[in-house]
Amino acid sequence: MTIPAAHVGHYLWVFYLLPVVIVIGGILRSVLLEKRRRKGDD
Amino acid sequence: MSWLPLAHALAARQDLPVPAWLFAWGASIVLIVSFFALAAAWRKPRFERQHWRALGAGFSRAAVSMPVQAVCGLVGVTLLGVAVYAGLRGTEAPDRNFALTFFFVTTWLGFPFFSALLGDIFRPFNPWRAFGRVAGGAFRLVAGQRPAHLAYPERLGRWPAAVGLLAVVWLEIVYGSSGGVAVGLDPHAAGVAALVYSGYTLAMMALFGVETWCERGEVFSVYFGMFSRLGAFGVEDGRLGRRRMLSASTSWATIPGSAAVVIASIATTSFDGAQEGAFKGAIESVFESLADAGLGLNTALRLTDTIFIALCFAGVALVYLLGVRGMRTVQGAPSLAKLRDGFAHTLIPIALAYLVAHYFSLFVFQEQAQFGYLLSDPLGTATTDLFGTANSGIDFTLLSANAIWYVQVGALVFGHVLGLVLAHDRAVAYWSDYRQAARSQYWMLAVMVAFTCFGLYLLSVSNG
Repeated sequence: MTIPAAHVGHYLWVFYLLPVVIVIGGILRSVLLEKRRRKGDD
Repeated sequence: MSWLPLAHALAARQDLPVPAWLFAWGASIVLIVSFFALAAAWRKPRFERQHWRALGAGFSRAAVSMPVQAVCGLVGVTLLGVAVYAGLRGTEAPDRNFALTFFFVTTWLGFPFFSALLGDIFRPFNPWRAFGRVAGGAFRLVAGQRPAHLAYPERLGRWPAAVGLLAVVWLEIVYGSSGGVAVGLDPHAAGVAALVYSGYTLAMMALFGVETWCERGEVFSVYFGMFSRLGAFGVEDGRLGRRRMLSASTSWATIPGSAAVVIASIATTSFDGAQEGAFKGAIESVFESLADAGLGLNTALRLTDTIFIALCFAGVALVYLLGVRGMRTVQGAPSLAKLRDGFAHTLIPIALAYLVAHYFSLFVFQEQAQFGYLLSDPLGTATTDLFGTANSGIDFTLLSANAIWYVQVGALVFGHVLGLVLAHDRAVAYWSDYRQAARSQYWMLAVMVAFTCFGLYLLSVSNG
């Protein structure tokens, strides 16, 4: 079976988006953890 | 070459050891590591004061003395005159006419690069400022009093310069496009535009005063002056001195509309880089829809490009404002307006990085023409050879495709790291607790990573 990779070039932007998504995900996770910790302190 | 390749950097196909997208991952890692290093080690603001020191006593005054300014002003007025004359009377072949390369490469790209290193070098050469000051002096001689000016509306701030910046780039890359091919602006139109802009600028200077207009509304002064704030040299009290690099940028955005200027710079460079790469398909689709709706080809293309420039501006502004909004959620944050204006200067190194990344190769190649055949034969009529270089050419082997790519990646990473440094420095000035300051910068880290990856994506697509 041939992998249908003829148009894979059109989706290369995903590789550029991933670092941004990972960083934003990390930030949101950290913000949520901080909020939860603050609620726990209260 | 029958047209100026103003649309984007010149680059042949690269032969990179790893896929181009891996550079975006590498750049993101560099930014994340820089962020944690700053959070750990940078606890006090270092750029809020400039630490300005005059250069040698005699030299610091002589460098900005009236005779030196007069000579520089004369040079500026002469070069503007030559460029306008070449535009109006020279050949219509854009690559053979002095005007286009002088306006859009040597001046528009050269001054940002060199101002960032040396300070505000455009100021003494600014032809409109020189002319305005001479006119003001003549008025004083004749009338025996200083010219009276209107009070500049403070709320207007630098908005005229932001709009003007968009207009200059629009003229270059939107008005200069026709029939789906970027042919560049024709020299005659560039000459006329320069005359119209000169009339407008001198009228505004007469209304509001030379220095006020240069500080707020004169596009070139504001734009080049913005980059000069990164540099190590500045003038205070009529003396030239050295200051801590980057430090002058922290006080740049105190005038309303400053954020719009730097956002316009990033947005227009992004559009120019993307119009024949990342946005090509979308532009063609909108263009076809508008053409099908009955608009002429030129009108449809110009309207399409205008829409995409506006979208780029909105997109860059949105990313920045999201970052600012994120900072606002951190305990002890100042008002949204203060954050919005207070962090605008952190985008200046990014604007410069985008310029270097997108136009570095164009600048290197086109300056060979500027200081070669265009200088000897400004009108491009093949009838003059002022300096014996009219038959020189451009050496395109000077830079390899890989070298261009590495400069592009290096500029983007370095510019964004500088942006992070400035943002962190401002944060530790605004938040009394450095841990909260570091927390606030999570959001600016996201902004910087987003701009870096976007910039590298644009370049990778246009380099093909």
